[in-house]
Amino acid sequence: MPTKELPERSEITIIGGGIVGVTIAHELAKRGEEVTVIEKRFIGSGSTFRCGTGIRQQFNDEANVQVMKRSVELWKRYSEEYDFPFEQTGYLFLLYDDEEVETFKRNIAIQNRFGVPTRLITPEEAKEIVPLLDISEVIAASWNPTDGKASPFKSTAKFAIKAEEFGAKLVEYTEVKDFIIENGEIKGLKTSRGVIKTGIVVNATNAWAKLINAMAGISVRIPIEPYKHQAVITQPIKKGTIRPMVISFKYGHAYLTQTSHGGVVGGVGYELGPTYDLNPTYEFLREVSYYFTKIIPALRELLILRTWAGYYAKTPDSNPAIGKIEELSDYYIAAGFSGHGFMMAPAVAEMVADLITKGRTDLPVEWYDPYRFERGELRGQALQMG
Amino acid sequence: MRPLDLTEKDPSKRVTIYFEGQPLEAYEGEKVTVALLANGIYWLTTSTGGRRRGAFTFGPVPMVVNGVKNVNARKTAVKDGMRLERQGYDDFQENVEIDEGKPVLQYVVDVAVIGAGPAGLGVVKEIGGRLTTAIIEERGWLGGDLKLKGVEQEGFGDPKEALNELSDLPENTRVFLKSVAIGVFDKGEYFLVPIVRGDQLIEILAKRVVLATGAVDNIMLFENNDYPGIFRRSDALEVMNVWGVAPGRKVAVVGAFPEEITAELDRWGIEYVVVPNPKRVEGNEKVERLIDANGNVYDVDAVIMSDGRRPDINPVTQAGGRLYFKRGYYRPVIDSNHRIREGIYVAGSAVSIKPHYANYLEGRLVGAYILREFGFEAEPCVYEERLKNYEPIAVPVHRLPLDEFNGEDVHICGCDVTLRKVDDVVKSGITDLQIIKRLTHLAMGFCQGRFCLFNGAVVVSQRTGTPMDKLDIPVARPPIKNVKMKVPARRD
Repeated sequence: MPTKELPERSEITIIGGGIVGVTIAHELAKRGEEVTVIEKRFIGSGSTFRCGTGIRQQFNDEANVQVMKRSVELWKRYSEEYDFPFEQTGYLFLLYDDEEVETFKRNIAIQNRFGVPTRLITPEEAKEIVPLLDISEVIAASWNPTDGKASPFKSTAKFAIKAEEFGAKLVEYTEVKDFIIENGEIKGLKTSRGVIKTGIVVNATNAWAKLINAMAGISVRIPIEPYKHQAVITQPIKKGTIRPMVISFKYGHAYLTQTSHGGVVGGVGYELGPTYDLNPTYEFLREVSYYFTKIIPALRELLILRTWAGYYAKTPDSNPAIGKIEELSDYYIAAGFSGHGFMMAPAVAEMVADLITKGRTDLPVEWYDPYRFERGELRGQALQMG
Repeated sequence: MRPLDLTEKDPSKRVTIYFEGQPLEAYEGEKVTVALLANGIYWLTTSTGGRRRGAFTFGPVPMVVNGVKNVNARKTAVKDGMRLERQGYDDFQENVEIDEGKPVLQYVVDVAVIGAGPAGLGVVKEIGGRLTTAIIEERGWLGGDLKLKGVEQEGFGDPKEALNELSDLPENTRVFLKSVAIGVFDKGEYFLVPIVRGDQLIEILAKRVVLATGAVDNIMLFENNDYPGIFRRSDALEVMNVWGVAPGRKVAVVGAFPEEITAELDRWGIEYVVVPNPKRVEGNEKVERLIDANGNVYDVDAVIMSDGRRPDINPVTQAGGRLYFKRGYYRPVIDSNHRIREGIYVAGSAVSIKPHYANYLEGRLVGAYILREFGFEAEPCVYEERLKNYEPIAVPVHRLPLDEFNGEDVHICGCDVTLRKVDDVVKSGITDLQIIKRLTHLAMGFCQGRFCLFNGAVVVSQRTGTPMDKLDIPVARPPIKNVKMKVPARRD
């Protein structure tokens, strides 16, 4: 799949070969642009292959609901066109008290306004969707059957293969070391395997975004810090046992579902950092086991196969920074996804490709304005779990 | 005697168990898998992909025990009246008992030694009670693979006598048998080594850790290499020498090191044939015949893979060690004190493949390094000298006849990862082992690659021309051995 040679020049260069970088490359190449992705390890190795697989539209603000609605449309379209697993098996938020229910009623109203069919259901209805649930303390649930999940491995690999078919170049095991800038214009990038001449650069490095921004020498402050989040997977069990993503804020901000391979996967809100350390911890193993077995007691007897860690590249309001950085020609950023990069990627790719090729986009990209931190215009906290 | 019993069992321990409703003779203390084998029953469970599986090749052995699904038959002892049934890998128990679990135990020691084979025991003997130690062993005995041997061992002589000597442990030693370490976690002041014994979680806090975690037998690739009746060398040795049960009455020995098993077969008078180039195994419920690359057909009821061993790299990579490739296997990078990193030592066949006695010497060596680090008098150079007599054994990396196999029947991994699956991904142009792993689930199942990663690497290397030492080898993550979620779920 990956083109091993570093091209001498490329109109557009994307730094970072995670799902965001790969889908941007795919979108640009599809539009006929000359584009190269430079990835320091292998495609997906940063955070994408470590993600929790979930894709949801149940957010608590208009922008994220709209962007995720578009993203789900794209997930559906591309999974059919390219044949990778994406299933609309829903997101089920378990609610345990009146305050939680009120908050979710407000969220549901926003979601409904944009055509996302979320509704409040009874604990009994929730148990029909996931019969193994312990609903003894649940008073209601927020349910959107059009949310879903996808295989990060198969989807990223497919987007990468298709991007290459459209002419994009994917260069792996190559690390960007510095920018070559003359009079405020990008001329090229220095990498561990030589120089690539380029005029347009997209920083899609998420957890490493601040390092790339520093190399670019931009002065605007875009606070993105890597936080360690961990996930667990159990032995595979009968497919279709836990179809939706199940969320419980009461039990550890936990999220869990079943992968297309059969294992139960998920995590809890146990966060460490900022740090680049990715060693899984014993404390996480204890926490996740405690909370998961509270939500679904049958998990007690399942074998844990492994745990792992990945990054939530977080901004202060848990919304990404997406847009053009004006002080350098031409530099774009799409990073700081705060745990939502995988699910948002197809829509982000469309927004960034629009910005590069048309200078504008119909999606509400201003919500993710990279300058908002400097201006002190933080957005409301994006709904986050895990 | 039962069909495959090699020895007379104690009649006072005789019990009756039921397999798929049929009453069978068994003996108290026997493992379920051994009791069934003794009765000639090889097929115990079925993979998600519908493949019949036994207990002695690879993959888990979940069975229905007294109506409860997903019980690990390898770790279950028979009881009178026990009812056993086959199940699929993906069957699980929906209604579970919820209890409080047992309180977590904690022990503080100077040195935690993981693995009680000759190397681990060598460490503890060398330390000789001058430091407090904990020795953690997955199996139910001290001595590791040495316990499996019935014939004379170089340097040790009679294995039983050597074992008696080795098992005489100094004071200040805590022994944890039937206990698996699920990882090594760096806590700054000390290392945390959580272990699981049954449903009991135990936290060992240690200033130093020794990985004496041994090696794993190579799994050979040929058609239907996952059939019930195919044995890893170590399992064949265990059923004979620990349990007094034959792997079969007529067996085929395959692999590069047949002599590691044939002397033992001779000792028990088991008829065998050595087949250097296995191509395919056939049979209905289990192995009935082996066909070699030249088309010769051997009627046998078991096949033993004796193809050498390679260090188990999972404990090493989980603990933060790096690897290099030499003599046909990945092995840990160590410093001049046998450490993979500050505070974590490695000894025995976890380092390189050599005779039991050399592993024991290496354990003594590491014990001496640790003593010296704690300020005691020690002479590691004595062991360094003696170890020079043992050049590590090279293990051949086979050139696989990939295009001559029906790849669908060749199982790289017990989790239904076939040669065809891996090959198809490689042929589609994806050549990075890290990505191939994620697209095929190679090394992502029950064993986390312990039995399958190497063969996956061989296929990728052979197909892409990337040398083995240039592959990006995935690291193991905790828990390095499977643990039921209820065990760490306990909250104090």
